[in-house]
Amino acid sequence: MNKLLLGRYIHADSFVHKLDARAKLFLSFYFIVIIFLCNNWQTYTLLGILTLVSVVCSKIKLKFFWDGIRPLVWLIIFTVVLQLFFSSGGHVYWQWGIFRITSLGIENAIYIFCRFVLIVCMSTLLTLTTPPLQIADGMEALMKPLKKVKVPVDEIALMLSIALRFVPTLMDETTKIMNAQRSRGVNFEEGSLWHRAKMLVPLLIPLFVSSFNRAEDLAIAMEARGYRGGSHRTKYRQQVWHRNDTLVMMLFAVVTGLLIYLRK
Amino acid sequence: MQITFEKLGFTYQPGTPLAFTALKDVSFTIAEHSYTAIVGHTGSGKSTLIQHLNGLLKPTTGTVQIGEQVITSATSNKDLNKLRRKVGYVFQFPEAQLFEETVLKDIEFAPLNFGYSPKEARQIAIEQAQAVQLPTDVWEKSPFELSGGQMRRVAIAGILAMKPEVLVLDEPTAGLDPQGSREIMSLFQRLHQEQGLTIVLVTHNMNDVADYADHVVVLEKGTVVGDGQPREIFADPQWLTDHHLGLPQTTAFAYQLQQRGFVFTEGLPLTEKQLAHELAMMLKGGNNQ
Amino acid sequence: MGKIIEVKDLTFHYPDQKEPLFDQLSLSIERGQWVAIIGHNGSGKSTLVRIIDGLLAPQAGTIFVDGMPVTPENIWQIREKIGMVFQNPDNQFVSADVEGDVAFGMENLGLDRDVMKYRVDQALRKVNMEDFKGHDPSRLSGGQKQRVAIAGVLTLRPDVIIFDEATSMLDPEGRQDIIKLMTKLHKKGYTLISITHNIDEAAMADRVCVIDDGKIAADSSPAEIFAQEKELIAMGLDVPYSERLKDELLHNGIEVPHEYLTEKGMVDWLCKLHSKN
Repeated sequence: MNKLLLGRYIHADSFVHKLDARAKLFLSFYFIVIIFLCNNWQTYTLLGILTLVSVVCSKIKLKFFWDGIRPLVWLIIFTVVLQLFFSSGGHVYWQWGIFRITSLGIENAIYIFCRFVLIVCMSTLLTLTTPPLQIADGMEALMKPLKKVKVPVDEIALMLSIALRFVPTLMDETTKIMNAQRSRGVNFEEGSLWHRAKMLVPLLIPLFVSSFNRAEDLAIAMEARGYRGGSHRTKYRQQVWHRNDTLVMMLFAVVTGLLIYLRK
Repeated sequence: MQITFEKLGFTYQPGTPLAFTALKDVSFTIAEHSYTAIVGHTGSGKSTLIQHLNGLLKPTTGTVQIGEQVITSATSNKDLNKLRRKVGYVFQFPEAQLFEETVLKDIEFAPLNFGYSPKEARQIAIEQAQAVQLPTDVWEKSPFELSGGQMRRVAIAGILAMKPEVLVLDEPTAGLDPQGSREIMSLFQRLHQEQGLTIVLVTHNMNDVADYADHVVVLEKGTVVGDGQPREIFADPQWLTDHHLGLPQTTAFAYQLQQRGFVFTEGLPLTEKQLAHELAMMLKGGNNQ
Repeated sequence: MGKIIEVKDLTFHYPDQKEPLFDQLSLSIERGQWVAIIGHNGSGKSTLVRIIDGLLAPQAGTIFVDGMPVTPENIWQIREKIGMVFQNPDNQFVSADVEGDVAFGMENLGLDRDVMKYRVDQALRKVNMEDFKGHDPSRLSGGQKQRVAIAGVLTLRPDVIIFDEATSMLDPEGRQDIIKLMTKLHKKGYTLISITHNIDEAAMADRVCVIDDGKIAADSSPAEIFAQEKELIAMGLDVPYSERLKDELLHNGIEVPHEYLTEKGMVDWLCKLHSKN
């Protein structure tokens, strides 16, 4: 679970690693938007190449991207199958009751599959090449405009970075409590679904209690260190925008232009 | 129930770049009814070792024999469950495991898991609440309303309720005040003496080792570097310092005296009672001359 | 030198409890003094220091820090003068990297980034953690985490540092480490208040206050406090080793001196006795 959420950052000295978190975050979202503009094999190939180039530039082994896709395999298969059997239009190859396979269905299924894989690869790339703390800082920067509509951006950002900080601590705590309850005869792995759901109670209640205690301690410690919210705070960590960040933004803009040109 | 570690090795996340060998070639025996202390610097592998005692971890190599049962890397999870009944494990800050609405309900959790009827489980819970000296007026209270020391007693009772033959204690006095620590340690001493429970204590507190243990195992970097009676282990203060371990206060004190010309014929004493007795013999002996 | 902290007629009552915790408690601490506060769990030690730092509001009584009353208006100025290090090293770490955590207090004050950078480096050097600047706290030992917490306190240049059982969750080496650091800070002129169960830590202080039953039950030099073995035990506290040994020697029919002896003093005394024979 740890790996799935955060512990995924892999240190390397690459072009992608050195990019500013704000640029990477923005482009990851942007990529999701433009992939919905794709509607033929040319456009998917274009974004496929863009993804491949990004992955190669990160100097990270392909295996780690596969690890990113693996937890979603069933979701992908489910969606693809849905598309395959329930789309209508085009030439009908096979039909049985409400199920039918059509030429358009096959096409849609392939596109959906590509879309999934590319999106997962790009967002995996973001988390693999950017330490969690920088992602949090990047989010804060991107949310800045929301301050105008009274969204407490600073508080949200601090909350986010504290949450990140506590993930390993809570993981340890979970392991410890699970072991303690195992020692009292709980079997988390076996038994009926109902039994397993019931066995979450002795895990979740202690976890809540300890999290609340920690939160209380932390609140007192923060107050003692002069934290009172508000925007008069200064920031110790700073993000630096380089020329490469601008270049990559421009590259994405060019790709978008090409994409619109290639669309049907 | 005797426990034997035979060339035990354990590696976390084997076969990955994060692989970490926590234990290697660990062999020693914990005799039935003994009070064994396992000591070592933080990160020496103590926690990893004791998690093998009730099957929370399985050996990567070698074996652990607990009573009749032999645990290897191939042992099934079902067999490990059987083990958990015989070996009670008191974690560090065990009060973190409490979750039930009332004290008694929390204590009977383990017996119910191990198949006792609700009536039997309640009976056991009451016995154990008495054994750890919880006043009757807290029995029906929520464990979360109790003081830190009482919460720890509830947690300990919850483990004793499995009627284990071996009790594993991981820093059982951490976070308690001096009075609370004294009470908890004498509780374990009583269980050891009256019910013949085999006790395995993991601690940094060498005074507790000196006061209670009859067998000490010293771990360093995942291997056993010392195994013997407390007097043998604590006989060489320099060796202990080299291994980042402290001395019991009495032994440290007696060591200072030894360097100033006192002679302890039976080796350095471990408890203040022994030291006072030996000093009295020396000093009074002198007076008589 | 003057008084840095003055507590007058403090009354404090937790709403969910029947009895008040403190009733008319008074205490004053000189600038530069190291005061150890001891007492059993639940005696109110932590509550007392939290009231001093304005983290809890008393029902009655006044508190002055460096001549300034603790009121809601100047509470933030008070907190700049007082740094606190808490018991659980994990629960006071705000940032996922060491330097970010050290800078947290300064960010709250709105200091310039250059000032922060300078002070972070300086504070980490003072606690010997400069090599761990970019580390993740979950990879540090307990003692190292507490040193980072102390560095965070030092960046705000406080007058008083309060250690609220800061050594109780550490292993013996980590504990010795922090006690050594406390000694160093004391020499530099900081006023220290340390809440502790550890008799070695208390023995380092200039003065020991025993809190029991909502009152200051004793307040004196460590030597005088530790000589009162029976009272300490009755209050559920620890007794220095030399006192315990003296007690055992008495049982064995050896006359022992009444005044408190440090361990070294005790060794000297025994040697003298030994050589007479």
